[in-house]
Amino acid sequence: MNTLYLDGQSLLHRLSTRAKLGGLAVFSVFLFAIGHPALLGIAAIAAAFAYASTGIDWKPGLARLRPAFITIAAVTIFALLFQPPMEALIILFRLTALMLAAAAITATTTIGAFIDTITWAAKPFERIGLVRAADIGLSVGLVIRFVPEVTLRYRSIRDAHQARGLKVRPVTLLVPLIIQTLKNADEIAAAIDARGIR
Amino acid sequence: MDIHFEETSVRYEGRTALEPLNVRLTERRIGVIGLNGSGKTTFARLINGLVKPSSGKVSVNGFDTVKESEAVRTEAGFIFQNPQNQIILPILKEDIALGLKRKKLSAAEIETAVAAVLTRFGIPHLADRRTHELSGGELQLSAFASVLVTQPKILILDEPTNQLDLLNRNLVERTMAGMDENLIVITHDLALVENFDRVLLFSKGRLIGDGTPDAVITQYRSLAGA
Repeated sequence: MNTLYLDGQSLLHRLSTRAKLGGLAVFSVFLFAIGHPALLGIAAIAAAFAYASTGIDWKPGLARLRPAFITIAAVTIFALLFQPPMEALIILFRLTALMLAAAAITATTTIGAFIDTITWAAKPFERIGLVRAADIGLSVGLVIRFVPEVTLRYRSIRDAHQARGLKVRPVTLLVPLIIQTLKNADEIAAAIDARGIR
Repeated sequence: MDIHFEETSVRYEGRTALEPLNVRLTERRIGVIGLNGSGKTTFARLINGLVKPSSGKVSVNGFDTVKESEAVRTEAGFIFQNPQNQIILPILKEDIALGLKRKKLSAAEIETAVAAVLTRFGIPHLADRRTHELSGGELQLSAFASVLVTQPKILILDEPTNQLDLLNRNLVERTMAGMDENLIVITHDLALVENFDRVLLFSKGRLIGDGTPDAVITQYRSLAGA
């Protein structure tokens, strides 16, 4: 399995995971609290600098964000159709800033560190009997773990189509992708059980 | 080791995967062989509680695999056919540490235990490596480490040499030979179990052979027409 984490010694790598996730939460609230496009544009540029500071090469750096960029572009185009252009611009900057900041955190934080921190953050809810903190941490970790996995699977199914001379269509890609992902999720669940992790 | 199957059967959607089985396993090294679809993996998964019996019961060192699954998994570790499915997190040392999270150990204790198990399998240099970069043999040893860090007394291995080249297959065999844990090995690699204490042969969901490796492997060869 692949990982979104990049080895490195950047400032973001050295910051504690709690500080990074706390900072991301504050940044997210800030992005939704303000509605000025110039400020949001500055926030997006700052987030882009943060992402670049992780040491990632620009080509793979952009490649891993491509699906998110496509989604943001689709949302922006949709907004342009039904809302004033300024609103669409606000949505574009807001989502781009959020995505870049989250990508910077993901690139500099290992899944193990995510699990530990989310588990720690969920402890108060465990104390009042609402959740099992370790389950919340593990769930979030597994979601992050599966992101590159699904991308790899998508590529291998696409390559298999091309190797067999089949036209690549979303439906013929999505069905095996969903089946394979669910099957893999089952196997991981069995491994979690077998290893007594939960 | 004391594993006890009492009238244990497994059915999936009307199909019988394992006929009612009565057997007691106490030897230190047990091989399980049989053709594809013969019920070997179902048998192995019953021991760890990954498969629940449709009837009867299985106990491992006195613990019921259904009612006391947590205790059973402390006693018996399971190595999957594909080590990629065994390893949950992408960085090896984090994955191994994950197995210890429920033990309420301090970070330093977890670090020590992870380092010890990696050293035991001769792979301390892989601690920070990404698991997708490891070779087949390294991955299999990593799977061993991920399970044995919790110190189970019994280790169940489902076709541990299945996807390995000869070099890595021999590495896994040597590693298994040096292990103190009780081993139950499901395999098509007959050489792997030829020095074991006992071998079981399954066919069409039934235990049809049980005895010394020589006798049971001969029976299997005859069954397979080899």
